[in-house]
Amino acid sequence: MSKTRFPLRAALAGTAAVVTLAAPAMAAEELNALIWCDHADADLLKPFEDAHDVRVNTKEYEGTAAGLAILDQSQPGDWDVMVIDAVDVGRAVERGVFAPLDPAEFPMGDYFPELTLDSHNSVDGTTYAVTEKFGYNTIAFNKAKVDEADMEDMGSLWSGKYDGKIAIYDYYLPVMGLVGLSQGVATKDLSAANLETLRDPLYKLKAASRQVSDVVASQTALATGEVDVLIGGGEWLTAVLHSENPDLDWTIPKQGALLWAQSIAVLKDSQNPDLAKEFVKYIVSPEGQARLATSSCYWGMPVNKKAGEVLDDSQKAVLRWDQQADYLSRAQLYPVPDADLDAEMQSMWTDMLQQ
Amino acid sequence: MSIEQAERRRASALVAPALLWTLAFFVLPFAGMVWLSLGHLEGREVVAGPGPENYVRIFTDPSFLKGIRVSLEITLVVTVISVVLAWPLAWIIAMRVPQRWQRLALMLAVLPFWTSYVVRSYSWALVLGANGVVMQALIGAGIIDEPVQIMATRTATVIGFVHFFVMLLTLTIYSNLVQLSPNYARAAADLGASGWQVIRLVILPLTLPGVMTGAFLTFVLCIGDYITPQILGGNNELTLPQLIMLQLGRRGDFPMASALSVVLMALVTLAYAASARWLKMDRV
Amino acid sequence: MRVLGWIYLALAYGFIFLPVGALVLFSFQDGRLPVPPFNGPTVKWYADVLGDRDLMAALVNSLMVAAASSAVALVLGFLAAQGLARVALPGSVVMRGLLIAPMTVSYLIIALGLLSAFNHIGLRPSLMAAGIGHVVINLPLCFAILFAAMGAHQQNAERAARDLGASELRVLWHVSAPMLRPALLAAFFLSFTFSWDEFIIAFLLTRFDVTLPVEIWSMLRSGLSPATNAIGSLVFLVSVALLVVLEFTVFRKVRK
Repeated sequence: MSKTRFPLRAALAGTAAVVTLAAPAMAAEELNALIWCDHADADLLKPFEDAHDVRVNTKEYEGTAAGLAILDQSQPGDWDVMVIDAVDVGRAVERGVFAPLDPAEFPMGDYFPELTLDSHNSVDGTTYAVTEKFGYNTIAFNKAKVDEADMEDMGSLWSGKYDGKIAIYDYYLPVMGLVGLSQGVATKDLSAANLETLRDPLYKLKAASRQVSDVVASQTALATGEVDVLIGGGEWLTAVLHSENPDLDWTIPKQGALLWAQSIAVLKDSQNPDLAKEFVKYIVSPEGQARLATSSCYWGMPVNKKAGEVLDDSQKAVLRWDQQADYLSRAQLYPVPDADLDAEMQSMWTDMLQQ
Repeated sequence: MSIEQAERRRASALVAPALLWTLAFFVLPFAGMVWLSLGHLEGREVVAGPGPENYVRIFTDPSFLKGIRVSLEITLVVTVISVVLAWPLAWIIAMRVPQRWQRLALMLAVLPFWTSYVVRSYSWALVLGANGVVMQALIGAGIIDEPVQIMATRTATVIGFVHFFVMLLTLTIYSNLVQLSPNYARAAADLGASGWQVIRLVILPLTLPGVMTGAFLTFVLCIGDYITPQILGGNNELTLPQLIMLQLGRRGDFPMASALSVVLMALVTLAYAASARWLKMDRV
Repeated sequence: MRVLGWIYLALAYGFIFLPVGALVLFSFQDGRLPVPPFNGPTVKWYADVLGDRDLMAALVNSLMVAAASSAVALVLGFLAAQGLARVALPGSVVMRGLLIAPMTVSYLIIALGLLSAFNHIGLRPSLMAAGIGHVVINLPLCFAILFAAMGAHQQNAERAARDLGASELRVLWHVSAPMLRPALLAAFFLSFTFSWDEFIIAFLLTRFDVTLPVEIWSMLRSGLSPATNAIGSLVFLVSVALLVVLEFTVFRKVRK
């Protein structure tokens, strides 16, 4: 009779044993962070967790709409901090989900001046978020395979020369922004009236490319030589591969590029607002900034210039630390579509995928 | 109370928990989803229905229609290829491999089942890439001069799917084959049928229920899968599940995701109706 | 004909093992790119994977969800099969159809339905939610396997036990369950396997604590690295080892 019970009971007992053995020592407190994948790096979180005896729980999301949907589906107090596209801070403030921050508590004086982004991080004079990292969505390429001079002109992608050797990064906002730049439409001018002018070049771009892919598939294709050019890519995508293939490079073509910037905010209903604010302080400190800049998911420029004292020279070379002044002057922020335009852009993106 | 009534009451009590579970966590959520699909997203807010907006869009928007077509095409091709490849494999294992090695042969044939599903799709991406093992071997053997693009095409998606379903179907067809009495084949041979005729006229028809059950399962699992086309298809065309996840992940458009799911469900129901006469679902 | 058969068998095994072979080989790749050329062996990715707190937690979560959801599905399926096999209840065809129905529905649909339903009642995404979803997909499987395994022989034994005064629970535990042992084992381990490897339900219904397939998915999206191969190979080797152990212990006894 006892044999009958064996497998079930053994399975449960075995599981219980594993649980007991593997359960990490419980930290006193928990902080729940709704984030992008670069914040999930243990090397970034560990110093903060150790210093405050707290466990940082992270949940990744992609796209502001999805992030806000997660907030909608949660109970008040579920979340303490949120990483969000700098240009979308206003959308979240509109919903009343962020707590005001006092900019004086953060090292704004050490920021690259272009990156304080007051107009985006604050609403009606109240600051709700601080910028934490930035970079460019532009053209990444394998310089052993392409003519570098071609990469200075976005038109090359439509010339036929690189047909079948192009990958498109699968995020509609930056890539449609870039296609807009190629058509002479500044990102801030993108509207329902001129959106249709992007359709044809977008479809042609799809026809010339091999795939439309997420970060890892794009990295794989670029690193293994399946494609030679990636539109939408930048240092955030090639930096981690630098040691494998130093030929992977990026540039900002004459038409310009898109500047991405991410902000971090404290949620209004946070159960632990003081600790949440400490986390934000850690993230924008030189130490946190350097770790965030070189996070395992993707690299990007720190907004706090003092991080330069923590980063080593080779890291700074990969990040193009010294060229930022020029790059910043030629880059534009993401388009900020309203709900209707956003729906139309996504729909055009889906149409493009289905071409 | 008669003995029979008491027996019935006891039986009902035994069935009740499973039925309640299915009602609470399957029937009700599904009904809720159908209701949600009749609402729609206006701006960034969900407007409750009932209204046909989403369905009208699905059946008029070329991108959604193409999604339905792509899903059906891939699923049908995968189902047919998998059956055609798996049947001989199951037959060889059941009829040609000596009895004492059969169990081992079968276990080997389904062993990769136990790699993680997500990782398995991803490893096909590595194998099929321009620098992958397959292309390098073909180039090394002088069969092709330069890599042919397979990765990030529908072919890659189909290969990834076929790999999984050949294992599944080999299992279902094998179990059907070993249940057949050898007398059928012997009788046919006595009546003068050749070896090939025995397979075609006797064994093949007898395995039809097993094949159809396996094929239906393949259809259901294949048409609803998100991972394989997402990893291997390179976003060059989107299947229904990819469109559903796009509505959820990028837009947070629950009503549209629900409507697409209802359409997906309808396709599966059609497939069920088409194959129902051969299916014995409660005997899988 | 005979030779053709063996060639076919060899080719089929080649196809079936191709991705697994490549997976395992490149889990030892020295360098970040898990593609040829092979740069020579290293075990550093295995060290990475074993030292990864989130990955190990996900592994434990997966084991818990799989064990718990399979156990619940098994009990519910066993009771339902007992009830329906015993007497002809009014509407028993409908009930059988209803219990089997989730098997004919894509996991994505089940996941989406539960996600909106749980949102509606305010149940947060969690391992528990994913476990509930896994019971939904595994209940039909357990029910079908056990229902098919029940026969007149066993019903006679149950009736005899009841006539001798055994309570319903005692009959189920001491007569029915032991007689159905092979089917119960098969149902449990099949459910366990499905739950262990299930992605989409777990992906949509969990939040901080995730299962292994979900953790692997986010690894796969967050950076190119042979660590993905290493965890895939580890899962494979552990599963196969378990399978072999089961084959030589539990199932061998059952077959006798």
